[in-house]
Amino acid sequence: MNVEGIHIRGVGAVSAAGWSGADLLRVVREGMPLPTSNCVRPGDERPWPCATRLVPPPPPEKAARHPRLRRASAITRYSVAAAVEAMTDAGHDPAAPPKGLGILFTMMNGCVNYTGRFYQEVLQNPAQASPLIFPETVFNAPASHIASFLGVDGAVSTLVGSSNTIMEAFDAAACWLRTGLVDECLLIAAEECDWLSAEALTYYHPKLVASEGAAALLLSLKGEGPQVKNVIGPLCYTTWDERTALLPDLVRQTTARIDSASILIDDQCGIPRIDRPEACAWSETAFQAVRSPKKILGESMGAGSALNLALGVLETRDTRRPAVVSMPGTNTAAYACVITPA
Amino acid sequence: MPSPPRQRIAITGAGIVSPLGLGWAHNERSLAADRTAFRKVDFFDTTGLIASTAGVVDLPDEPLFQRTPPHKQRYIDRGTRMLLLAIREALAQAGRSNLDGIDAMVIGSSAGAMPLGESYFEQARQDSGRVPSQLSRAEHYQPQRQMNSIADEFGWRGPVIIVSNACASGANAIGWAAEMIRSGRCKRVLAGGYDALARLVFAGFDSLRALAPSGIPRPFDAKRDGLALGEGAGVMLLEAEEARQSDAVADLTGYATATDLHHLTQPDPEGKAAIRTMTGACEQAGVSPEKIGYINSHGTGTPFNDVAEATAIAAWAGDAVKNIPVSSTKSAMGHLLGGAGAVEAVICLMALRGQWLPASLNIREIDPAVKFDLVQRFRRASLEHALTNSFGFGGTNATLVMQRRSA
Repeated sequence: MNVEGIHIRGVGAVSAAGWSGADLLRVVREGMPLPTSNCVRPGDERPWPCATRLVPPPPPEKAARHPRLRRASAITRYSVAAAVEAMTDAGHDPAAPPKGLGILFTMMNGCVNYTGRFYQEVLQNPAQASPLIFPETVFNAPASHIASFLGVDGAVSTLVGSSNTIMEAFDAAACWLRTGLVDECLLIAAEECDWLSAEALTYYHPKLVASEGAAALLLSLKGEGPQVKNVIGPLCYTTWDERTALLPDLVRQTTARIDSASILIDDQCGIPRIDRPEACAWSETAFQAVRSPKKILGESMGAGSALNLALGVLETRDTRRPAVVSMPGTNTAAYACVITPA
Repeated sequence: MPSPPRQRIAITGAGIVSPLGLGWAHNERSLAADRTAFRKVDFFDTTGLIASTAGVVDLPDEPLFQRTPPHKQRYIDRGTRMLLLAIREALAQAGRSNLDGIDAMVIGSSAGAMPLGESYFEQARQDSGRVPSQLSRAEHYQPQRQMNSIADEFGWRGPVIIVSNACASGANAIGWAAEMIRSGRCKRVLAGGYDALARLVFAGFDSLRALAPSGIPRPFDAKRDGLALGEGAGVMLLEAEEARQSDAVADLTGYATATDLHHLTQPDPEGKAAIRTMTGACEQAGVSPEKIGYINSHGTGTPFNDVAEATAIAAWAGDAVKNIPVSSTKSAMGHLLGGAGAVEAVICLMALRGQWLPASLNIREIDPAVKFDLVQRFRRASLEHALTNSFGFGGTNATLVMQRRSA
C-alpha cells in the first residue's frame, strides 16, 4: 500500500474517554482502565456478566444541529462530532467545507440500535414497523447524514469490514486523491454499542468489554500534518491460526523501518489469551512508550484501529516522535504503519 | 502530484445469478423471452405485509462450498452462495479456475448476511442464557467473514473490500475496482455485488410503502405503484489491458459517482446527481449521449425514482434523448439492492456482446416524463456503448459505461 505524500491535516475522536481527541490522548496516557457498566438486556435478565464502556453524554457544544440529525443514530452523532473536530483541526469551517471533499466511512456492525429496534417491530407486527426507522438501519445512513451535514455532494462511500477497515479506506483515499476524484478526503470509522453486540463480544471471551466511538482523519496531498509512512499490509488471513503465524512477519517488516524513539500504539485488550500473538510479536522491540487504548477504552470494534490511528497522530504531534500503530485486525488482514511528525 | 497514466480496462469474464436463472446463458434466454420471475417468498414470513412476492433465486441443492466443514455450511448465507456461483462463472469465462493473480476483490452488498443477524437476534430474544451457537451466528453475520469462506474456497489470500452504498453498492464496487486499475495500483480485480432476500429488508421496504401491492413492478409506467425485491449476484473480472490474460468481452470505459443530498430515501426530483454521474462517466469514456446505444436504468418502479431518472436522462441527453433505448430489467427480476448495479452491468455486457436490448416489462401506459426510447420488448440492435445507472438510499449515485469489443 502506498500512502506516501498524504498529510493528515485534521483529527477528531469520540470515545468512552470523551468527545474530543484531547480526551482520548489524556485518558489513554493516564493508563487507568475506565470504569465499566453492566449492559442491560431489555426486558430480561442476563445470567452472565456483560460489561460495556460507553461514550458519555455529549457536552452541549458537541451536539450538532441539522434536520437530518434529529433522529440520527448514536453512530451518526459520534461520527459528525469527530468529523467536525477533524475539519476544524485542519482549519476548515465545517459550515463551509472545501470543494472537492470526499468521505470514506467504515464500520463493522453499523446502526445496530435502530436495526434491533426495527427488527423487533417486524417480529411483533410487521404492518406497524416504522418507516422512519428502517432507512436508519442501512449501513450507509451515517455517511449520508454526514454528507448532508457538511454539504458534500461528490464521492461518499461506506465500507464494511474488520476493526482495521480504516486502512482499506486509507488506501482508497490515496487512490481518490491521486486520481483527482477528490481534493481532500475525510476518513471516518465508527461504531455504536447495543446489548446484542456487547453480548456477541462475550462469546469471543467473557471478559471482553464492548465500547463505541468514532475517529476521523482529514487527508490531503497538500498542506501540512503528520504522514503515514511505511504501511505494512494487508497481510491477509482467514483464521486465527493464520493471523498468529503472520504477526511476526508484520512486526519484522515494521521494525526494520523504525527506531527506539518511537511510541507503539498496540491493539491489546488486556486479555492474555487474545493478546498473546501480538504481544509476542512486539516483545523484542524497544519503544519510548507503549499505549494500549483498548485496555483503557474497551473493544470499539469497527472504530478500534481508527481510534488507535487518531491517537498515533495526536502522540506524534505532541511528542514529535514517530508513532507505530499495530492493527492486527480481527478476521481478515493485519496492518501496521508508522506515523511521522510534520 | 501528477495523475498516473490512465489504463484501458478490459472485462475478461462475467458471472450472473439472478431470479431469471443461474449463469449468463439462462439469463440471456430469459431476457430474450421477456420472462418475469416473481413468486411468493417462502423462506420467511410475509404475513401482514403489503407484498409477499419477490424475484427468488433457485440455488442448487448440493453444497457449493467444498472446503467449508459440514458443520459450518449452514452459516454460509444464501447471498454468499450466489456470489460464489457468479465468481466461478466469471473466472471460467476468463479461462480461470482459481483466483491466482487476482490483486483484490471489491464486492458490494447492502445487507450482507442479514439473515444470520436476524437469527442471532431471534435466538437472543428467545433464550437469555448463553447459547454456544450464537458465536457462529455473530461471526458469520459479518460480511467479511462470509468473504473469507470464498477466499478459503479458492485457497486465496488477498484484500476483499466490501462496499456498502445501499442499492448503488455493486456499481460502486465495479467503479472502484476500475479506479484501482486506472491508478496503477492493481492489474487485476474481481468486482461485483450481491444481496439475498432478508426478512428485515423486505419488511423495511414494505414499511416505506415502496413495494408494489400487486407484486408486479412497472418501471416507467404512468400508474406504477412500487418495486418488487429480488436477489442475486453479478461479478466481473477487470484487467489492465497490458496485463490482460484472456480475451476481453468489453471495456469498462467510464465510472462516476456523486451524492444526492435531497433526502435519505427520496431522489432529488430533477435528478441532479444522476445528471452529474451520467455526464462524468461519459466524459471519462469519451462518448457523448448520442453514442450510448442502451441504458439499463435504475428504474425501480417507484413513483419518485422513475420520474427523477427520466427527467435526468432527458436533461443529460438533450436532443439525443428520443433515440436512446432505455429499459429497466428490474421489471423482470426485481430490485436486487446491493447486487443490482453489478447484475445490471453484466446485463449490459450481455447486450453488448449479443447485440440486443432487454425489455422494460409490464408497461400499460408510458409515463409522460419518459422522453427516451423505452424498450418494451426484447429486440435486436446494433450498439457500441452501454450505460447503467444505480441510485441508492443515502443518495449514492453511480454510473458505469461499457464499450463492446469487436470479435
